[in-house]
Amino acid sequence: MKKKQVTCKDVMHHICENLREGLNSERCREIKEHLDSCSSCQEYFKSVELTIECYQKYNIELPKEAHERLMSFLGLDEGNK
Amino acid sequence: MDEKELIEAAQAGDKKALAELVKKYEKTIYNFAFKICRNPERAENIMQETFYSMIKSLHQFDAKSKLSTWLYRIVANHCLMEHRKKRHQFVSIDDDDFIEDEYTTDKTAIPYLSVENNETRQIMDKAIQKLSPEYRIVFLLRDVEGLSTEETGAITELSVPAVKSRLHRARAFLRKQIAAELRS
Repeated sequence: MKKKQVTCKDVMHHICENLREGLNSERCREIKEHLDSCSSCQEYFKSVELTIECYQKYNIELPKEAHERLMSFLGLDEGNK
Repeated sequence: MDEKELIEAAQAGDKKALAELVKKYEKTIYNFAFKICRNPERAENIMQETFYSMIKSLHQFDAKSKLSTWLYRIVANHCLMEHRKKRHQFVSIDDDDFIEDEYTTDKTAIPYLSVENNETRQIMDKAIQKLSPEYRIVFLLRDVEGLSTEETGAITELSVPAVKSRLHRARAFLRKQIAAELRS
């Protein structure tokens, strides 16, 4: 039986479902081969990675006052120990 | 004291150990809550409620599990309950064909973005707030907090294929929302 060729749509699906899973199946190797030769899929792959990276880097500081309010709310501030 | 010892001491009523545990996880929990609700005041409330629940149920905590996983679960449940009460309407991405046509066929590139930039932060907040919390939490646990697919499934009570499916949709949705915002 003739093997179904990898399409851009398959790559999109694979990237979105398995990105960072580090899979090594035959299908993954085929996907990687397709990626190497398809610039639009490479762009897509990069932009999904970039989206994730942006959300990873977007952090906020816990204000000192919020920490103090938390400890006081829980009865764990210095005076309560 | 390591974490296991701290938990045992806290379970036995040691307030100093309990305070250490809270201090160890407060930044993680505050940030995770903020990433779900995108509002510092609500994030602070969720953080307080989470640690309050932790203290109330600490005697039931099984030392074989990870405390962080348990805390993530409390935050996720709290946020889901809050959202259900408010009955917000989100863009539906439950349909596979819709996702296929609307999100994964669009391959517009995204340029490098600096998250220190306020405009970028506003775009990211706007994009993720359109995503329903059920998808948002899976994306945040797996991709942003870096938990495994299995851990994400355990926290959200979803199977591994269900986690992957939600991730697929959430990633495609956010990527396209950001690309569209940058174009407008």
